[in-house]
Amino acid sequence: MSTEKLKETGKLCIPGMRLSLSNKEFVSGPGTYELRGYIYATLCGTLKMEQDENEVTVVSVESPRTPSILPRTGDVVTAKVTVVNPRMVQCVILCVGSSVLVRPYRGILKKEDIKATEKDRVDPYKCYRPGDVILARVLPMTEIHWYHLSTAENELGVVIATAEGSPQGISMLPISWSEMQCPKTLVKESRKVARVIPENINHALFPVKDNSTTELEIQQDT
Amino acid sequence: MPLDYRRFNGPEDSIPYKRFTKDFVKSYDELFKELLDDKGVRKDGRALSEARSMCMFFARADMVSQAKGSAYVELRKTKVVCSVFDPREIPHQNEFSELGQIFCEVKFAPFSCPRRRRPHAPDAEEKALSVALRKALEPSVCRHMFPNYQVDVFIYILENDGACLSAAINAAGLALADAAVPMYDIITSCTVAVIGDKMFVDPTEAEEYLATTNPDTPINHGLLTLSTLSELKQISDFIQIGSMDVVSVTNAMEVLEKECEKLVPLVQKVLVANVLKCFAQRKRLEEEANEREKALNSKMEEWKKLLNAG
Amino acid sequence: MAGLLLSPTEKVFIVHGVQDDHRSDGRTNIDYRPMELETNVVSHATGSSRLRLANTDILVGVKTEIDVPTPEKPDLGKIEFYVDCSANAAPQFEGRGGEQLAIGIAKLMQAAYHSSDAFDLKQLCIFEGKQCWKIYVDILILECGGNLCDAVSMAVKAALFNTKLPSVKAALMDGGNIDLQLSDDPYDAKSLDIGTAPLLVTLCKIGDKCVVDPSAEEESCSVISVVVGVTGNPSSYSTEENVSDSAKESKFTTIEMVGSGSVAPKTLKDAMNQGMVAAKLLDKALGEALLRERQETQVKTKKHSYGFLR
Repeated sequence: MSTEKLKETGKLCIPGMRLSLSNKEFVSGPGTYELRGYIYATLCGTLKMEQDENEVTVVSVESPRTPSILPRTGDVVTAKVTVVNPRMVQCVILCVGSSVLVRPYRGILKKEDIKATEKDRVDPYKCYRPGDVILARVLPMTEIHWYHLSTAENELGVVIATAEGSPQGISMLPISWSEMQCPKTLVKESRKVARVIPENINHALFPVKDNSTTELEIQQDT
Repeated sequence: MPLDYRRFNGPEDSIPYKRFTKDFVKSYDELFKELLDDKGVRKDGRALSEARSMCMFFARADMVSQAKGSAYVELRKTKVVCSVFDPREIPHQNEFSELGQIFCEVKFAPFSCPRRRRPHAPDAEEKALSVALRKALEPSVCRHMFPNYQVDVFIYILENDGACLSAAINAAGLALADAAVPMYDIITSCTVAVIGDKMFVDPTEAEEYLATTNPDTPINHGLLTLSTLSELKQISDFIQIGSMDVVSVTNAMEVLEKECEKLVPLVQKVLVANVLKCFAQRKRLEEEANEREKALNSKMEEWKKLLNAG
Repeated sequence: MAGLLLSPTEKVFIVHGVQDDHRSDGRTNIDYRPMELETNVVSHATGSSRLRLANTDILVGVKTEIDVPTPEKPDLGKIEFYVDCSANAAPQFEGRGGEQLAIGIAKLMQAAYHSSDAFDLKQLCIFEGKQCWKIYVDILILECGGNLCDAVSMAVKAALFNTKLPSVKAALMDGGNIDLQLSDDPYDAKSLDIGTAPLLVTLCKIGDKCVVDPSAEEESCSVISVVVGVTGNPSSYSTEENVSDSAKESKFTTIEMVGSGSVAPKTLKDAMNQGMVAAKLLDKALGEALLRERQETQVKTKKHSYGFLR
């Protein structure tokens, strides 16, 4: 990243501020919008410019508060299962990506969206139980106040679950893609397990010397 | 309205004592003369084209701790509090809508005006203000970000001394930005009262009253409120009542546009200060957390040592 | 309009046409569609009218009552507007579905008639401080085909033109109360002076230009419209030559924006000027039609009826 761009990063933004040109180099990211060839801010916060592998800079604005956002189609959400019945699983959505929602929103996971294969032989009871914390992807909205979810990916499914009869606070560990075991009582239960990839996997596998400063540079232009 | 029948409720209708005071019988001309002195200075010492916001604009974001975002705007005696909450389900909605909605409610405090307001049901003026506020805010908020949900904007007018709609719009704009609701632009608003060839920028209640009452001679009179999105150079709402010819309306519009433009740096300043405050707060919290963690770790080391020793 | 789907190409065609002052049905930007107007259609009302503009059908009935004037304005009468959106017009008006729309239109009408330049409430005074006429204008929307505000305001003006208040024969003072005796003779009545009553013109923003009286297709190309209320010219509503030679200048009595979009300042100014021109033309045409109808009824005692009523 050029020094000029680095300088821009960390600048204070307020809604309606023109941030940069919108072209092949710069793409509008979260907290921004695009209008007539320019990128503008929609939030109060600091400017962030990140370059991805294709030399494209994503311009985004990071707010000090949780932005008032809702799950959108394609987002990965964290949800808690509330009701399981033979046709579907109901849950409440707690987080979108990394931001925690202030209000829980209702999500619905249909039987055929639980697994990618053998969709007709899925038994929701063998995949989810009330209280499980799951990762899921948001499908296009078709109902007014229900978000449709899908876990038909290897990385999606149960992340945290407690076995029946186990003491609270002890979550089961995955032993296969369809089973989890409690470390205390050794009870095995079947679940649709998510293969969670740690966020710092690249860091762990290919350690590099950390020289990027995480400190925010706030230019006081008042 | 529920009545308490165990008390003596008083007569159903009464005549306010003010009707018998000297002020009440004043004619239109007398009232008009009171607004301006010989040098063209208004009752509260302002020039005609001087807005109150220029001298006493006091806005503070993050005022109500329970709300996601809030703001307080004060124009001398007009005082407005606004709070904004996160998107929630629209009650009684049965149709899919691509765009989210903004629910606005404007309420006057019972003690906000010279006449007492009924605190229960919203009256016609409150309803009208709510609708006007919603219309003004709609173009400024990225409503496609929350389809089928609504953002609540509540305005409470603590004291009303004219220009309460523009104060409410300004406060709502600040509160929405404070709540991190995605917005296309900063919204600013201003009111002007026209009587004859005089334009009272940012009028007080007395000026507003005179501008909306009918003069004896057919001169231009009216009340105009304009709200703008400054960066996009757009007008999000424009309301006029009274009776004015084309030239007068156009002139007033130009004045209003300039006034709205003047407000932008003030609003920006408040927002920037707010962001800085938020970051400082976050930094402090992080530091505190680090310190706590350090203390815990050292405790742990101590215990481990004790355990190993014991 | 729900259920109307236009392809992007069709929309571009309409937008380009509007920029060149040429619309798909052959009109220019300030032309109205043909309309049908008829007065005196409801026997139980003091004055009534029915207006059909393309697919919009409005029935207006005027009822009068004797009331006590407000203490603040002892020499003024009262006028009130009520809009009822019948479920016949559109299924979504069922129950309370049309309430918001109805309140919005009634509010606009009230604002437009607020100024004395628009409608002089002094003519409704019977006995200062004691008795005045109160006019209830009931507007019934029978069919909804767009452009409601314009149609409503025209129908209201026609109905008020048709309204005749019985003359007061005698007033007996009985202590503090007044006993009025009204004339029984249907011909011993005075018409209202409604020459200056305002007409509302809706200007629908398409591209950078505005059109009046948009068709459903044109409405779907637009996100915002500006409604202006413009006072009428009394000379168009009177057969006597000398009433007012100096045609009173038309004035804006209300301006409001309807819809969720925003406009550029220049477009808004252009729209207001265009609205003024359109309103003047419309007012003149309405006056001519009303006078012609009055003459016809004077010649033939039995009125030829065109509409579905009677």
